[in-house]
Amino acid sequence: MKILVCIKQVPDMESKFKIDERGTWYAKTDLAWRMNEYDEYAVEQAVQLKEQVKEGDITVLCIGSDQVKETMKKALAMGCDRGAHILDEDVSTKEPYMIAGVIAEYARDKGFDLIFTGMQSQDRGSGQVGLLVGEMLGISGVSTVVEFSYADGMVEAKRELEGGVKACLKVATPVVITCQLGLNTPRYPTLPNIMKAKKKELLTTNIAELLKVDARQETLKMYFPEKKGGGQVLEGDAADLADQLIKILKDKTGVLA
Amino acid sequence: MEYTREIYWNVGHGAWTLVPMYLLAIFAIGLLVKGFYGRVKIYQQGQPLVRDDQRLRRLVMMLQNVLLQKKVSRVIWPGLLHGLFFWGFGLLFIGTTLIVIQADFTDLLFDVKFLTGTFYKLFSIVLDIAGLVCMIMLGGLLVRRYFYAPEGLETKNDDAIMHSLLFGILITGFLIEGARMAVTELGTPLAPWSPVGLLVANAIVGMGEGGLLALHKVTWWFHLLLVMAFFILIPLTKFRHILTTSANYFFTDLGPKGKLVTLNLEDEDAESFGVSKIGEMTWKDIFDTDACTLCMRCQDRCPAFATGKPLSPMKVINQLGEVAFDAPDSVLVDTIGKDVLWACTTCRACQEICPAAIEHVNKIIDLRRSMVLMEGEFPGEEVMAAMEATEVNGNPLGVGYAERGDWITDLGIKTLAEDTEVEILFFVGCYGSFDKRNIAVAKSFVKLCQAADVKIGILGKEEKCCGEPMRKMGNEYLYQTLANENIETFKSYGVQKIVTACPHCFNTLKKDYQDLGFEAEVMTYTVFLEELLKSGRLRINAQDLSCTYHDSCYLGRHNDIYEAPRKLIEAAGGKLVEMEKNRAEAFCCSAGGGRILAEENIGERINIRRVQMAAETGADVLVSNCPFCLTMFEDGVKGAELEGTLKPKDIAEILAERIQ
Repeated sequence: MKILVCIKQVPDMESKFKIDERGTWYAKTDLAWRMNEYDEYAVEQAVQLKEQVKEGDITVLCIGSDQVKETMKKALAMGCDRGAHILDEDVSTKEPYMIAGVIAEYARDKGFDLIFTGMQSQDRGSGQVGLLVGEMLGISGVSTVVEFSYADGMVEAKRELEGGVKACLKVATPVVITCQLGLNTPRYPTLPNIMKAKKKELLTTNIAELLKVDARQETLKMYFPEKKGGGQVLEGDAADLADQLIKILKDKTGVLA
Repeated sequence: MEYTREIYWNVGHGAWTLVPMYLLAIFAIGLLVKGFYGRVKIYQQGQPLVRDDQRLRRLVMMLQNVLLQKKVSRVIWPGLLHGLFFWGFGLLFIGTTLIVIQADFTDLLFDVKFLTGTFYKLFSIVLDIAGLVCMIMLGGLLVRRYFYAPEGLETKNDDAIMHSLLFGILITGFLIEGARMAVTELGTPLAPWSPVGLLVANAIVGMGEGGLLALHKVTWWFHLLLVMAFFILIPLTKFRHILTTSANYFFTDLGPKGKLVTLNLEDEDAESFGVSKIGEMTWKDIFDTDACTLCMRCQDRCPAFATGKPLSPMKVINQLGEVAFDAPDSVLVDTIGKDVLWACTTCRACQEICPAAIEHVNKIIDLRRSMVLMEGEFPGEEVMAAMEATEVNGNPLGVGYAERGDWITDLGIKTLAEDTEVEILFFVGCYGSFDKRNIAVAKSFVKLCQAADVKIGILGKEEKCCGEPMRKMGNEYLYQTLANENIETFKSYGVQKIVTACPHCFNTLKKDYQDLGFEAEVMTYTVFLEELLKSGRLRINAQDLSCTYHDSCYLGRHNDIYEAPRKLIEAAGGKLVEMEKNRAEAFCCSAGGGRILAEENIGERINIRRVQMAAETGADVLVSNCPFCLTMFEDGVKGAELEGTLKPKDIAEILAERIQ
């Protein structure tokens, strides 16, 4: 069984974000980087599937600068077999259609039975790439999967829809699965696997060789929401709190007038 | 009259006595040696470890603990009973040896008798009293074990065998003496020199000479048989502690105290990391299990055990022993249980009190290492999340790393990146950097340094978690990654002196980082501030404060720093009321051993127990010296509904409020 897992390196969401000079993306200074949370579910599901069917080969694909190799190593340590690094120094300027195009181009002649990826990225959050890849390859795509099982070429999956509604479906491979929170608990890599990961194949291809589609959308502007009001946490003992509250009610509202 | 007695009186000194006696002795000693030989084979299943360097120092330590009963006597009543019994039995052993030396060597070969005259009188009374003391102490121990046993004391067949045998030896000894005296010594001036023997003699003298002679002979041989049985039983029963526990003092870890073995993670040939099978422990770890006497002192002091968690350090040691002897292929984590191993706070209370010098903590860490490094297992998802957060942001709280130095804004200090000309580097730690309550402590320390005109700097966003909680949880890989990054940063700035306000950082930087090539001076803020006070650089206005003080495990037991913090409190005007469990006996706050990262789901909350102990002193303030303790106490006073009555504060805060 051949499996492809597409992952993205994203900033840790606890980081202090600033808008970059172009005003269309966040600045890359002072950020800590990690694997997109939803892609971790994808990696875990791929590894679990391989463990279930007992044979298989998992390729993990990631687009970005050399820095993304660190995140790829984690996927390799979790159990992926080889890495496909698509080198792009300016990946944040590629919109989802282009990213999907690159992945589809890479996967086209490789005969993957299953393609796993996150249902969206934590930074851009378009939620498009997985399904676009399926479309471009002409295979099925199932999004926001929270339960997954596989037997004899058939996938059974449960999707999470709006308002707590779930949808169960059965689909034949090859298929693209995009993974949602709740699908599984990603494993913590063991030390021997971290060591082995250092020696696994990790081949780099330049994005130019795979980028065959044109952009269909353009990011015009990125900005922080304007500050309108906000919460205020009062501190102190009860008497002090009461005084503070009365002052606020007097100053800012008419309830005590 | 010559003060002496005929050795081998009534039993004869011919071949009919000596040959069977020495054959029996050789047989018994042979079995003893064979018994231990078998046990040595079991110890040898373990990995090599050097514990016979610095032999003189080790020998002195062993003699102090064996002859002076130093560790045993720390728990007063059972310690006293054991100690007096030991000394009494020791004297009896020496006395018997002297008899053998005179009768079968010096007298036999050279006609030299030394058990005569005044020396004999002294010999006689000393042995007589020693025997009496042994009887009383053994009686006391028997009453303690069988009638007033402390809760949880495990009594086995071994204990019954040992009590019977020792009583048997003592009673038959006095009977032999009494029978001999009834026939030969009654009414002579020598008789009062054996008061107990005299008492026995008077009691049995009515039997008549014939009966006494027969009684003496039979009892003599029976006594001899019991003594031989004693030798044979040493390796087979808990009597073995006479040799194993004594030897364990010699094999003691010479320090630095509590320092864990740094795993070689680059070892390409290593198939496993940590310990999953007994053969992966060291021989000393297995030997430890044979030195345990089930005295329960560790269990009595274990904060996890005291609050209903499944961990008993004593049980862990004995399970390891059972595996080593009976089922060496067992998977240790399964035998002992994961919840047991995760419950340890590495507070070291067990190890500190152990009268047999057993090392508990490193074994538990070794087993955790196997769970984490080989299986990717943690006590809960929250711990795994904290590990991942640390991998990404260098702190287990998950805050963005770039904000690490934000707390110094407007304090008038800089990061080393901005200014390397500093007297000390303040290694702030994760809680001091990110946790609101502990930022207040870090700020207090900065204020104190500024008041004493000490120029300090911090690393800010270049500082990473020291790796201590991760290491104690078993994640040696993450610890080494963090440590190496920190060390590289220290070296890049040529850091000479580091002060920390966290005992966990302090212990780790000072001891653990040594193995990774870091050598700068590391100090805890308590000692550093105390020196500033002493030298007059820091001046404090004493102001009354009713308080109690909590010795953190890593400043206290792990580093033996008990007095500097107390001196600081005194200088601040603190009226210190000690909790019952203080200094080396202090009760952990619950957050050591990486437990700061974990939920406490089993049993009662340890931190609530500790703040209740503090509240019992009637003090207004609970002074601590550790961000983990402070966090736990802030939480504990809420849980124990003591908010308003008991205020947890760090020592630096107390001092900063009193700067002149």
